[in-house]
Amino acid sequence: MDIAALSGEIFGFIPLGDIMLYITPFSLFMFAGALIFTFLIAISKTETQVEAEFGSLEDNRISIDLKEFKIRRFLAIICGLATSGAMITGDLFNFTLFVTLIGILNIGIVSAVKIIDVLDSAFQYGLIAMISSMPLFSGAALILGATGTLSILNLAQIQPNPMVYFGSALILIGLLGESGVAPFYATKAEMFRTPGSPFILIIHLSSLLIITRAIEILLIINTF
Amino acid sequence: MASILINLLIAAFMGTVLIGLQRKVMARVQMRPGPPIIQYVLHTLKFYLKETSFPKTAAMPFYIAIASTLCAIWVTGIIMGPVTQGSLLLIFGIYAMHKIVEHNAGSSSGSPYGKLSCVRAVFSASAELPLFALLIVVYLQTHTMIISDIITYQSINGPLIFSIPLAGIMFFVLLITKSHYSLFSITKGKDIISGYETEHFGVMRGYLMFSESISWYMLLWIYLTVFFGPLSLISYFMGMIVISVIIAIINAISPILNPNHSVMFQITCAFIGIFGSIILMII
Amino acid sequence: MDKLKLFSYIGLIISIIGIGYALIFNLPAWIVYTISIFLIPVFLLTIGLIVMAKPIKDEEEERVFEPFIGY
Repeated sequence: MDIAALSGEIFGFIPLGDIMLYITPFSLFMFAGALIFTFLIAISKTETQVEAEFGSLEDNRISIDLKEFKIRRFLAIICGLATSGAMITGDLFNFTLFVTLIGILNIGIVSAVKIIDVLDSAFQYGLIAMISSMPLFSGAALILGATGTLSILNLAQIQPNPMVYFGSALILIGLLGESGVAPFYATKAEMFRTPGSPFILIIHLSSLLIITRAIEILLIINTF
Repeated sequence: MASILINLLIAAFMGTVLIGLQRKVMARVQMRPGPPIIQYVLHTLKFYLKETSFPKTAAMPFYIAIASTLCAIWVTGIIMGPVTQGSLLLIFGIYAMHKIVEHNAGSSSGSPYGKLSCVRAVFSASAELPLFALLIVVYLQTHTMIISDIITYQSINGPLIFSIPLAGIMFFVLLITKSHYSLFSITKGKDIISGYETEHFGVMRGYLMFSESISWYMLLWIYLTVFFGPLSLISYFMGMIVISVIIAIINAISPILNPNHSVMFQITCAFIGIFGSIILMII
Repeated sequence: MDKLKLFSYIGLIISIIGIGYALIFNLPAWIVYTISIFLIPVFLLTIGLIVMAKPIKDEEEERVFEPFIGY
């Protein structure tokens, strides 16, 4: 379908070889939003989580030590950059690659935390994310095989055939697992109990933004 | 620029009055006198003038930036909606960002109530599924997502509420989700004090309330525009008042659902809405 | 004047200049949108931080610098 009917008028193209990136108000807003949040993560300190203690009136403060802070901030910034890349990319395989990268980084951001429940839930989410990378990549590969191109601009001009529908369904299933929407959100939600607010922002932000972009891409590919 | 500022003022004023009206109707259904309709306006102004201080344990400057982000995304919403009538997909991207703000305003202060609200916001983010399903159904029906083209489509083919009624009902459930004191408002329930807003007090609270009133107006504006076609200003106001009253009656007679039940209810509505709409389109 | 007040005044002046500039002159649409998205929230925030109530001098330390936890 016409990209302009979906995301607003096309402002321009960035040609990268045979893949052309297209800039629309939608992709620009998501790209700028992801970058601004990445900048906020880079300049922010973390919060100190306060909880009540059993048996006394004191408070239990959980803060993040310097080593953990540095590694988690690094991973969060890379995750933010991967999200921005996924928002602007015009190549289907790049998109699935960024999604898998985001999945791995999400696990990495919480794996430095020393809370058992969080680590358990990160482990379970990690299993789902790894399993989901298979339908993601195979969906992109099937679409390449069925149409001969991975460029989203070219796929918009091609009449979709049943293999394209099947490939898109596989991508959708892989995305549901990677980003942690229903029914996989139940385990991913527990990952957010850790301190380190700016870093867990990017976990949630990346999931929501890639779902929105994926809907745009799948609608472009599957309609004519 | 002038049109952006005028629309912003209309959005803020109408949003606050509608939220106040909602509270009044809820109170009357529950046989109480209720606060005056301008109560929300008075609260917002009162909080604006109260002193704020930043918790020592908060993640700075993130704590302030997240409140500014809420205002910035809704100014973008005003630009994309009434001013330029751009892509619906962008407006739903703004809703995703709103969910992010709910999540991170809670966790940025270090307070345990904020943290609980943060985790509940992640749960309820999966109930954004109706929102995305809605996009697909509207797109399949009208072959466009640009609001001005959807308005043109409706002036030719009649309002979308008659052609895709299930999608309209699904969006209505979404409106209930976003309303104040609703049965799905797990992120702001009183069992967690004020949820993600707990540690944003004084000026920051007034700021958040101002942005939320704009978001309520925009949500109703989008619903009326996408499902009821080209409307005059008076029709918009009447439609918004009617919808707010209906939602207030529903909120007044229902309790807040448990987080798991809330999310399951919304996802069930999403499935019924999308599969029902697709089946109706095929038949 | 402490840091918060200083930054608030600077933010307020920049946002008023920016919004006024966009109102008076005929700028391309994308510049107007960028100015409104960034400067309107800054304007609202800084106005709030400047007009907010100030504590009485004696009580200031107790009310503002006491952490929200503790008794």
